[in-house]
Amino acid sequence: MIKHLMTALFLLAAPASAQVQGVELDEPVALPAFTYSNDLGESFTDQDLTGAWTIIMFGFLSCPDVCPFTLGNLEAAISETGMRVRPDNVPKVVFISVDPDRDAETVSDYAKFFHPEFKSFTGTRDQIDAMVEATDSFYRLMPPDSTGYYEVQHSSAVSVIAPDGTLRAKLQPPFDPGLTAEFLARLQISYRRELSQ
Amino acid sequence: MKRFALALMCLPGLAFAEGLTIEEPMVPLAPPGVMAHAAFMQITNTGDSPRQLVGVSSPDYAMAHIHQTSEQNGIATMSGVDLIEIAPGQTVAFAHGGLHIMLMHPKAALAEGDTVNLSLLFANGAVEPVTAKVMRQHRHGS
Repeated sequence: MIKHLMTALFLLAAPASAQVQGVELDEPVALPAFTYSNDLGESFTDQDLTGAWTIIMFGFLSCPDVCPFTLGNLEAAISETGMRVRPDNVPKVVFISVDPDRDAETVSDYAKFFHPEFKSFTGTRDQIDAMVEATDSFYRLMPPDSTGYYEVQHSSAVSVIAPDGTLRAKLQPPFDPGLTAEFLARLQISYRRELSQ
Repeated sequence: MKRFALALMCLPGLAFAEGLTIEEPMVPLAPPGVMAHAAFMQITNTGDSPRQLVGVSSPDYAMAHIHQTSEQNGIATMSGVDLIEIAPGQTVAFAHGGLHIMLMHPKAALAEGDTVNLSLLFANGAVEPVTAKVMRQHRHGS
C-alpha cells in the first residue's frame, strides 16, 4: 500500500520536474586540494567541503546579468531548501571569481549582498583552473578592447558538492527556486540512501 | 482628454515620445563596489515607421552599451549590439538572458530607489530620455 502511494506521489511530482534544474552525476567526482581567499583574509579550502553540502559557482564581478541572476535565484532556492531539509543540510553557497585581477580587492562583498551567509573568494590562476577543470566547468577571459576592458565567458551551471567532499550534481538555469530546492532535497535523500547501504 | 494626457504623464516609469513607449525601465541594485550594472526595459514602437536603436548613453556612468547575453552549450557569453530594428507595433524586451543595457563605472554609489538617467539614440537622430529606477530585484522566476 505504502509502495503504491509512493509511486502515485512520484507520478504526481513528475510533471513539475519536467523542467530540468539539475543533473545528478552517475559517479561522484573527487576534487583536488585547493585554497581560495578574499579581501577579509578569509580562506576557503577543500577541507571546508567536509561535513556540509556546498554549492560552488564560478563567475566574475563585472557580470551584469547572469551572475546576479544566478545568485539571486540561489538565495531563493536556499530559502526553499531550508523548508525541506534539516538546518545542517542546507547547502553553503560559495562564489569563486575567475577574474582575480579585477576582483580580488572587493570580492568578499559580492556574494553576501545576495545572502548574508553566502561567501565569495578568488585565487591564483592555477587554483581557479584546477577546480574549474575538476567540476567540468569553463571560463575564458576574452581579448581586451581598446580601453583594456575585457569580457569573461563562463559556465552558467553551478556545482553541488556532498559532505564527503565529492562533486555530486550540477544545477543549471533557469534556477527555478522551488524546483531547485526539490532537486537538492532529492539529491540528499539519494546520498543518505547510498551511505546507509 | 487633457486630463487623460496628464494622467499618462504621471504614470511612473512610462515615457512617450515620437511613437515610442518605454515600459518598466529598471536597474537591479548591484552589490557594493561592482563596476558593471545592467538596465532592463521594454521598448515598443507605437509609430508607423520602423525605428533603429543604435546606441545608449548615460550621464551617470562612464560607458553605456547595448549588450546581448547568449548561452550556448551551457556557456554564457556577452556581445555588443550595434543596431536593433524595431518594426511598427513591435516590442523589444531588454530582459535577463537576452538584451541588456550594460552600464560601466557608475559615477556614484547607487541605492535602492535611486534613478539612473539614460538616453536611447536612434538612427534618425532622435534621442529618447529614459529614467530607470534602481530596484533590488534579481529573481525573474523563469
